[in-house]
Amino acid sequence: MLIDTALRLVEQAQGALFEGWIEPVLYKFELMAWAEDGFDAVGFALFGAVEIALAYLLFRPLELWRPAESWPERRAVWTDIVYTMVHRLGVVPAVLFLVLTPIGATIDGYLRFHGYIPPTLEQLAPALRGWPFATFLAYVVLLDLGEYWRHRLQHLLPWWWAVHSLHHDQRQMTLWSDDRNHLLDDVLVAVWRGTLALAIGVAPAEYPLVMIAFRLIDSLAHSNVRLRFGGALVVGPQYHRLHHALAHAAPPFDRARGCNFAAVLPLWDVLFRTRRRVAADQPAFPPTGVAGLAGAAVRCGYLRHQVDGFRRLGAELARLGGRRPGFIAALLRE
Amino acid sequence: MRLVAVGLFTAALVLPALGKQAIVLNSDDDSLSVIDTASYREISRFYIGRQPHHLIATPDGKRLIAAMAGGNELIFLDRDSGSITDRREVSDPYQIGFSPDGRWFVANSLRLDRIDIYDGRSFELVHRLSAPTMPSHIGFSPDSETAYVTLQGTDQLTAIDLASGTPKWTVRVGRQPAGVLVCPSGMILVAIMGSDKFVGVDPAEGNIVRSVHTGRGAHNFLLSPDGQTLYVSNRVAGTISVLDAERLVVIGTLAAPGGPDDMALSADGSELWATGRWRASVDVIDRATGALKAKVPVGRSPHGIAVN
Repeated sequence: MLIDTALRLVEQAQGALFEGWIEPVLYKFELMAWAEDGFDAVGFALFGAVEIALAYLLFRPLELWRPAESWPERRAVWTDIVYTMVHRLGVVPAVLFLVLTPIGATIDGYLRFHGYIPPTLEQLAPALRGWPFATFLAYVVLLDLGEYWRHRLQHLLPWWWAVHSLHHDQRQMTLWSDDRNHLLDDVLVAVWRGTLALAIGVAPAEYPLVMIAFRLIDSLAHSNVRLRFGGALVVGPQYHRLHHALAHAAPPFDRARGCNFAAVLPLWDVLFRTRRRVAADQPAFPPTGVAGLAGAAVRCGYLRHQVDGFRRLGAELARLGGRRPGFIAALLRE
Repeated sequence: MRLVAVGLFTAALVLPALGKQAIVLNSDDDSLSVIDTASYREISRFYIGRQPHHLIATPDGKRLIAAMAGGNELIFLDRDSGSITDRREVSDPYQIGFSPDGRWFVANSLRLDRIDIYDGRSFELVHRLSAPTMPSHIGFSPDSETAYVTLQGTDQLTAIDLASGTPKWTVRVGRQPAGVLVCPSGMILVAIMGSDKFVGVDPAEGNIVRSVHTGRGAHNFLLSPDGQTLYVSNRVAGTISVLDAERLVVIGTLAAPGGPDDMALSADGSELWATGRWRASVDVIDRATGALKAKVPVGRSPHGIAVN
């Protein structure tokens, strides 16, 4: 009942915000063809605000109670807060939508003109028909598997690592760090997910609460919390801290052989032999970051990070120039 | 939540028998609401599939077709029993419609800039047209030879010869055109969503011959079965304009805040039902008095509606 009321409040706020503020602007600037997308964007931002509020209310007390690390100052955390706001309140997703949607629609349209209609899981596995929650869970599992391999590639491919390293290049990992990503990294992730959608369709939209729960798992996984829970069925803070550990990023670290890549289900790390537990002679909650990089980690500022990411990518592409290791070669090395 | 929970554990989508009930498609949470038309209460809500948008009746009136844009299918519902009788794979159907003689079935893909023309009986694809950009609503000529489609992205209306699948003419009609209604005289009415009016278009050449102000965000039409009254939903204004259908003169304005979209009349014709996209509700308005009889909460972004 409480959840029902809360959902209804979010819906009403979405309608009121859209009617009062967004729709008049769309009308004035002759953008009414985008009314439904604008309405959805307001919903995205509101659910993002709910995610932020819940993550703060649930995990910030844990960080204060039992921090994995303590820092004399938290300037870097403020930059991560900016990342969280621009991502979860919809700024970056809106940019990605505007840039990538026409490209995706062109590819999707081309495929359909040639007889390929992206299937849904229910069409591929008719037994799921009529079992919406089971269908939704099947999507969760498959998409999480997709996220696992996307994450492996982010570490495996040198050019992708050049931008993904920004996510790892922080020494103050907190509940705000999940969205700390370079814009190019976001673009690549969106392309990856869009490609998966062409293969298996998208999950039913009937379960916003479950989606919020998964975003909370992402926030918890990055939290600065000295708690060992999680890691068996779903990813927890210690589990993901090992993935971010400075020790694993130090020479002779081979980033392709990192550990604990899973986003939600540790099952994938077990299956593909990338699960790592804390060694007896190592700290249970190691410091995080990338040892070879000292750029953005010690500097703050969203734009500075973005510029630094482009520099890293440029340097990596220059280094790779002529060698053409390529995707296949990198996979073979793995 | 109770209603959602019911959906979680439902083995198969079997609606309650559709007696005196209304059906609403909730686009943003993939669900279908059933409303009791006597008590004006949502009595059940079911998961139906990805992104249901528009809802129309088959030419014989016995079944309803839900256009599942995200699920790439049409779902056929028996109007009496409420059961699913058929599913057809159709690429991204957003807006759908039958020609008056039932020979043609047209499905627009607003997202992919495409118009598909099917055989109305076998649902075999006959023509697939590129339609830049954002093909939205559909109307048909009384002789079933031509389909008129609004192109929201380019402010145009296009006339398509159904047999050959080729455009006859394409003209600018106004900012972000939406709903289309063809009058018995053949004149095409087009709601101009980026403005506060609808226009009348001559079917022969596509010239604009009338312009009638209604309210900001004029979006969709509903003509009463007796042909006397025309309703126009105005999305931005949050109103529904009532017009004398023969003279095309506004004779009243009904309050319908919340982004009124699709409309339907009750079986006895006494009530006007309208989906409110932005407020997750359906308005029931007394046609005689214009009073709001009920505001029924449903799922997110209710779009297509049918009232038994």
